[in-house]
Amino acid sequence: MASSTVSRVRRQLPTGPWLFAAPGLLITGAFILYPFVSTVVNAFTDRRTLIPGEFVGLANFRELLGDDMFWIGLRNSTLYVVGVVPALVILPLLLALLVQKNIPGITFFRSAFYTPVVASIVVVGLIWVWLLDERGLVNSLLETIGVGRVGFLSDQWLLLLSAMAVTVWKGLGYYMIIYLAALANVPRELHEAAAVDGAGAIRRFLTVTVPAVRSTMVLVGALSSVAAFKVFSEVYLMAGPSGGPAGEDTTLVMLVQRTGTGLTGRVGYASAISVVVFVVTVALMLLVLRADRRDES
Amino acid sequence: MPVSRRTFAAAAVCVVLPLSGCGSGSEGGSSDASGRIEGDITFQTWNLRANFKDYFEGLNADFEKKYPGTNVKWIDQPAEGYADKISADAAGGTLPDVVNVSPDLVAPLAKAGLALDLDKAAGKYKKEYLQGAWASHQIPGMTGTYAFPWYLNTGPLFYNKTLFKEAGLDPEQPPKTYDEVFDAALKMAKETDGKVATLANVPTIEDFGRYGVELMNKEGTAFTFNDTKGVELLTKYKELYDAKALDPQALTATPESSGKKFLTGAVAMNPGSALDLGNFKKQAPNLYKNIGITDQITSTGHVNMYVMGVMVNPQTKHTPAAVAFAHYVTDAEHQMSFAKQVAIFPSTAGSLDDPYFTKEDGTDETRVRVAAAKSLKNAVNYTPVLFSEQMKTELRNEVAKALQGKESPKQALDNAVEACNRLLQQQG
Amino acid sequence: MSVMEKVRQTTAKPTTAREPRVTDEHGRRIRVWELALRYLLLLAVLALTVGPFLWQLSTSLKGPTEDIFSSPPKFLPSDPTLHNYKRVADTIPVWDYALNSLKVATANVVTNCVGAALAGYALARLRYRGRRVATLVFILAMLVPVEGIIIAQFTTMRELGLNNTLVGVVLPGSISALNVLLMRNAFLNLPYEIEEAAYVDGANVWQRFLRIALPSVKGTVAVVAIFAFMGAWDDFLWPLIVLSDPSKFTLTIGLNYLHGTFAGDERLVAAGTIIAVAPLIALFACLQRYFFRGVGEGAVKG
Repeated sequence: MASSTVSRVRRQLPTGPWLFAAPGLLITGAFILYPFVSTVVNAFTDRRTLIPGEFVGLANFRELLGDDMFWIGLRNSTLYVVGVVPALVILPLLLALLVQKNIPGITFFRSAFYTPVVASIVVVGLIWVWLLDERGLVNSLLETIGVGRVGFLSDQWLLLLSAMAVTVWKGLGYYMIIYLAALANVPRELHEAAAVDGAGAIRRFLTVTVPAVRSTMVLVGALSSVAAFKVFSEVYLMAGPSGGPAGEDTTLVMLVQRTGTGLTGRVGYASAISVVVFVVTVALMLLVLRADRRDES
Repeated sequence: MPVSRRTFAAAAVCVVLPLSGCGSGSEGGSSDASGRIEGDITFQTWNLRANFKDYFEGLNADFEKKYPGTNVKWIDQPAEGYADKISADAAGGTLPDVVNVSPDLVAPLAKAGLALDLDKAAGKYKKEYLQGAWASHQIPGMTGTYAFPWYLNTGPLFYNKTLFKEAGLDPEQPPKTYDEVFDAALKMAKETDGKVATLANVPTIEDFGRYGVELMNKEGTAFTFNDTKGVELLTKYKELYDAKALDPQALTATPESSGKKFLTGAVAMNPGSALDLGNFKKQAPNLYKNIGITDQITSTGHVNMYVMGVMVNPQTKHTPAAVAFAHYVTDAEHQMSFAKQVAIFPSTAGSLDDPYFTKEDGTDETRVRVAAAKSLKNAVNYTPVLFSEQMKTELRNEVAKALQGKESPKQALDNAVEACNRLLQQQG
Repeated sequence: MSVMEKVRQTTAKPTTAREPRVTDEHGRRIRVWELALRYLLLLAVLALTVGPFLWQLSTSLKGPTEDIFSSPPKFLPSDPTLHNYKRVADTIPVWDYALNSLKVATANVVTNCVGAALAGYALARLRYRGRRVATLVFILAMLVPVEGIIIAQFTTMRELGLNNTLVGVVLPGSISALNVLLMRNAFLNLPYEIEEAAYVDGANVWQRFLRIALPSVKGTVAVVAIFAFMGAWDDFLWPLIVLSDPSKFTLTIGLNYLHGTFAGDERLVAAGTIIAVAPLIALFACLQRYFFRGVGEGAVKG
């Protein structure tokens, strides 16, 4: 069926497929992949912002291995994936279930839950820095109930945790939407059948909902882990450009930005870090997809 | 026929190739500033539009009137990302003709041949400026001066008299030396159970300089701030940090956050400038009534100053006009009128002797202004011209490690010096 | 089958807004305690997601003399004033910048919706040699850390002569790889049979794309549109690098002046953030009905 269709389509419109894909490929090629290829080339040079640089082989990568800051960055970016991804796979699904039923006022709640996604990350950063400030709202509340003030923005680990919380806060609505779309796909007959069989809410969730949105969960897991590993803005805005106390909150992409930009930027070295980030995200993606395939079989 | 892979490859090459010539458009431009002053030039400032739009529009119009045939296009960039903006423009060959810079921005530009040597192109104006100010845009290891000095700034140390009183310190006898500051800070912390810190910032490179540490060797080829003096200062800060006399959040503080802490009475002292006084008045009227003002602490007899400069892009198509305009912006007359708009100080010779900077009229603003102007005559820009953003981060992180007790002060400074020297070499 | 039959009967019952009892989407009545629990949870999440914005709004309305650091906190400004907004508007030409942002964001929506739908369709539906490579190109592009390539992007833009133009701001993100992949997934989820039928009826590839496939993925198109709008409205570093001329600045760059100029005054920064965020919230509030309906309808029920 499909193959015969396709072969006749080809006869009709030989360049059709490429015509469809061309704008996307052109833009992506020219503005993402081409600059990235030059970044990969730069990773093997000692290029600086204003000085072209020469080929240095693997020197940048060798230097990376001995750079404490690189390992701190790798640690933090990895922790970010570990901390953020499970929350972003599960919480938005629960939220989607909560707003799925058409009870009065539900559209208001849906849109309200989406507002953090709508706000720009810079704004979100400013809002949370102000909330978590030593004298901000959260701390005045904590003090009022007698817990005392907490240094959310001065302790190395609390800072990282706060940034993760902001990432989850901002991502909830985004992934909620993706789940809502997937839930709409779940044939309601399945739920009904299970309900008639006497399955409780939790069992229906596990036996009907989860299997039905499993591929979406994998998608969300893949998207959020790639985004989490490349985290920059949240940590940059909350921990500051130098990455919190003694730079202990630096993430890999922050390190790319810090070493590679400005007039004295070491473009070559920063490019080497970019390449590492890229390789790890590709690996992460493959890992998620493989886990998916294993589950399926 | 399906589209073959080869066709696609060919198309991709067509797209990519025209872009692959890596850009540094070096057409036009000469260092000869003696021609006719005419043509269109662009002038880029650093976060000045918000408050001084009228001043600059008037300035540009006056220049255009004085030199018919010229046209100044003014662009202003926000404070954040300024260095990123300049480096993108420098790398892409789109640097404006006349650019507002600071000494640490000029250094890499000059090394890449992207700042005009004014000793050659405009040496005749040299005597119009304060000697130290003119020299602040010279780069170790290079001959020449790469920007006109523009405005200077320095400021006193503010302290909160109420907090001083509460801690049993004499609010009328503020500390005058480093030792007195440290003692007062420890006492303050002890009296308030560590609730009120006296200092809010970790030491930066300029603090080391002011404390009397030799920051670099004479040739400007290596950093030396890990000497005994440097270790002494950091050890002292460590003691303050442990006693909470240095704010526990200092490790993540920014100038803004520490200013805020001073405003809210969480910190007893804060460096600032005349600019801040107005801010205090507006935002914390209660604090303003109890604010004490004392001289910047220094062990060398020279206070620290910040210098702004105006450089000329050697690739400009209208060198005479660009040089003339850069000089016009920074000449005595225009610096003086700018200084009357905002609390900054002119870098032109003799300007600081103007009654505006010498006569007190009883207000705090004038008192701060007069004192600052006086101290500027022998002030020093301690931050080495070659001290890049990356080096600042290295120092900051090593200092933090020492304060947290993860490294000894000596070890931390050794590491910082080593890292900075490596970066210095790589800057080439 | 008997179960299915029963289900059809219940769902067939029309559910109108006037109906006295609260029912779920299946037309069944929801128990009161369950309903109460739902609303309780909804309100809790509401406080978490919207609360921070309201606090920011409250801060921005507090006058210069009101203590904003008080403990316990004061949620409502005692003497609300628009003074802070006026100062922000006096300092930066908010409306000009907002207009530029609007232009950039609108262009981004159009290019992303059109470009991503076309490319997504090509990846999902059309068979040709090199399709896997094309898919891979988009997947790889999604993984590239953008912060690392921004200077290279700028050099490219300059060589095209598009630096310092709004077109230059739009181009790099005009057809984002993520959106292409989202569209691809949406098209993949469509059952083949519908298009098959259209094909038999003699519809060519464009007709099938425009008349059948595209209307079925309206929901994803709405998602892409909103993402594209936000992405463009949001962006700071790229417009800053590309644009030199203040008359072309977008709102995020403009608002950055506040940070440099009024650093330390939380009220003004708060007013600035509200200015940045309010148009988006308003826009979303207007479009949300289509957005959510689209999301729900986006999937063809099997």
